Amino acid sequence: MAAPRFWEVLDRACNTGPREPVKEFDLRVWKTTSRLAKEHEIRYDPANPVNCDDGLADDLWKAGVELYAEVGSYCMDSERVIRFDEREIKDGLREVRDGVTIGSGSEERTIHCRTLDDKSPPTIIGGIIESDVPEGDMFVKVYQSIAQEPIIDGFYVGPPVQSAEGYKLRITTPLEIHLGRCAAGWAREAIRRAGRPGLHLASACPSAAADIASCDEAQGIRRTDAIVVPTTAELKTDYQSLGKVAFSVDYGCLRNPYSCNVIGGWAGGPEGTAIVAVACSIMSVMVYQNKSGQAYGEFMPMRMQPAIMTDRQATWGNSICSQAIAKNSRIVNIMGITVAAGPGTEMMYYETAENAVATIPSGSCGVGNVRRYKVKSLLGSPLENKFYAEAAYAATRLKRSDANEIVKALLAKYESKITDEGGPLGYPFDEIYDMRTLTPKKEQVEIYDRVKKEVQDLGLEFNYP
Amino acid sequence: MTAEEKKELFNKLRDAVSVTYDPEAARAAAEEVLKKNLDPLEAIDEVSSAIREVGDRFHRGEAFLPQLVIAGDAMKAALTVLETVLSKEQRASMHGERIVFGTVKGDIHDIGKNIVIMMLRSVGFEVSDMGVDVPSSKFVSQAQNESARVMCASSLLTVTMEEIADLIQDVKRMGLRDRFKVVAGGGAVTRDWAEKIGADGYGRDAAEAVKVVSGLMQRP
Repeated sequence: MAAPRFWEVLDRACNTGPREPVKEFDLRVWKTTSRLAKEHEIRYDPANPVNCDDGLADDLWKAGVELYAEVGSYCMDSERVIRFDEREIKDGLREVRDGVTIGSGSEERTIHCRTLDDKSPPTIIGGIIESDVPEGDMFVKVYQSIAQEPIIDGFYVGPPVQSAEGYKLRITTPLEIHLGRCAAGWAREAIRRAGRPGLHLASACPSAAADIASCDEAQGIRRTDAIVVPTTAELKTDYQSLGKVAFSVDYGCLRNPYSCNVIGGWAGGPEGTAIVAVACSIMSVMVYQNKSGQAYGEFMPMRMQPAIMTDRQATWGNSICSQAIAKNSRIVNIMGITVAAGPGTEMMYYETAENAVATIPSGSCGVGNVRRYKVKSLLGSPLENKFYAEAAYAATRLKRSDANEIVKALLAKYESKITDEGGPLGYPFDEIYDMRTLTPKKEQVEIYDRVKKEVQDLGLEFNYP
Repeated sequence: MTAEEKKELFNKLRDAVSVTYDPEAARAAAEEVLKKNLDPLEAIDEVSSAIREVGDRFHRGEAFLPQLVIAGDAMKAALTVLETVLSKEQRASMHGERIVFGTVKGDIHDIGKNIVIMMLRSVGFEVSDMGVDVPSSKFVSQAQNESARVMCASSLLTVTMEEIADLIQDVKRMGLRDRFKVVAGGGAVTRDWAEKIGADGYGRDAAEAVKVVSGLMQRP
């Protein structure tokens, strides 16, 4: 049997799924998750932020499958539940193919599934999404600087969030559609200037209309690029996300479904959040058509305040979710993070290294964009992308037990510095990079090298040439 | 009824709100309070203290959003019963100031909003939850209809935060700026930006939002 076709899924979302008030759905997610956490004895272990218990990862997977079979997804616009029975879920997971090919020409890469303690190289999808890069020339410079790092295999690109043609930007307005097209064009110009015209792009416009408008083989998002499709916490979708999928299925480009699962939110504590994150990976297959080599996903437990993925609970969640998905499915799953500290700070480098060390030996297929959780204009640079990527390559040499010790040492360096406001704000791109040569400034390179040496001394052997 | 039996019943009421989060049990305990002719105001104090305890546990990371929500439902179930025997004056004095709260137009994120609403309710405010994707005009009409003094507007997305600035402008344009206070919050909003757009307050998190709103309510 085959899993329901996307049009059948849309019918359930728009027409035939049972209607339910959103609060009832949210509470059903919580009650079911709490029960499954007990039944499967899923326990958060703060002493070991990188899970080394294979049985626990398998139990987490089972709990995630059971949760999704019981509660399904929720469409916020129609207030309908999109349900799948266990047979349909099994069929859907069987249709997931290992490997997604991204980019074109000399920049073509295949993101392969990785297993636990896998030595194969990770894929690096960089970017500094939603960092409020001003439109036009500065936008091109930021992304050109990212593209010129050879370690980067592609990057996320979101439109400027301040203005379009100098005018204030609003979501779902014609200006956003125009800006979606412009941003894709600027990103293409950036990769051309970097000498990598086939580099993979993942377009993250807020609305479906803008992402659809950005698709253009010559000037914008190509079929070897992806459209980013969010899941709203928890297990919820809407017509914007479904619209992105509907278009991309027809246009034939890739998709990047993701979820940020909030610890302390509808899923409860770290255990429940990990179960929901696994269920979201299954939702990406069933609803967002993350199968047949058409998509790569990100399913990431996240702290609530500040909204980061690099504290102890989120680290445990991201580690064990990566393991559960890698051990039990062919879902291509990579990591992208929000961090507490800003660019150019020691703390941001510690955080990126920590996440890479926790997730790459746990079977994550690669690492993605980095951004400080609170947006400020131009608050992002290629340096944190590069550090995250180098740490990911280095982490392929680690076993989870070694990774666990390094993660504990890294957490000790910054954990106490995380505040409700995050951490140090850091520096904008034009203070980190020389705008004339598009190279990092000397003092920034010194910080980078110093932290790299410190992390190396903790046992992470950097090996990217 | 002995003092011990009374204590046991009040504990039952308290537990229904803050331990088992059970609206049915809270309603039943409240009905028993009235049946035994116990002081409803004393029972209401017990319920208020229980919901504050849930709020404190949330801050310590020992309770989560669903517990906040169900505890709120249990509190409401108990109060609905207990209020029936209060005089009009007692009921009026019991109800706190009114607030309207929503996530702005274009934004469908609601976790932060739900948490702040529950924390505001736990300290006695009457909060009207307008949900997500709320246009400025709805904030104003709802605040007018409910005689609210404070509007709380949340935006997680950077591309929707300007809606909060619009709300303040709309309130000004309608000549209602003296009547309504506007509090800005959500992941995208910063203190500096909230000040820049002329918001009356900014809540970085639920605890600060409660503090800010309480402060605003004390002003004329």
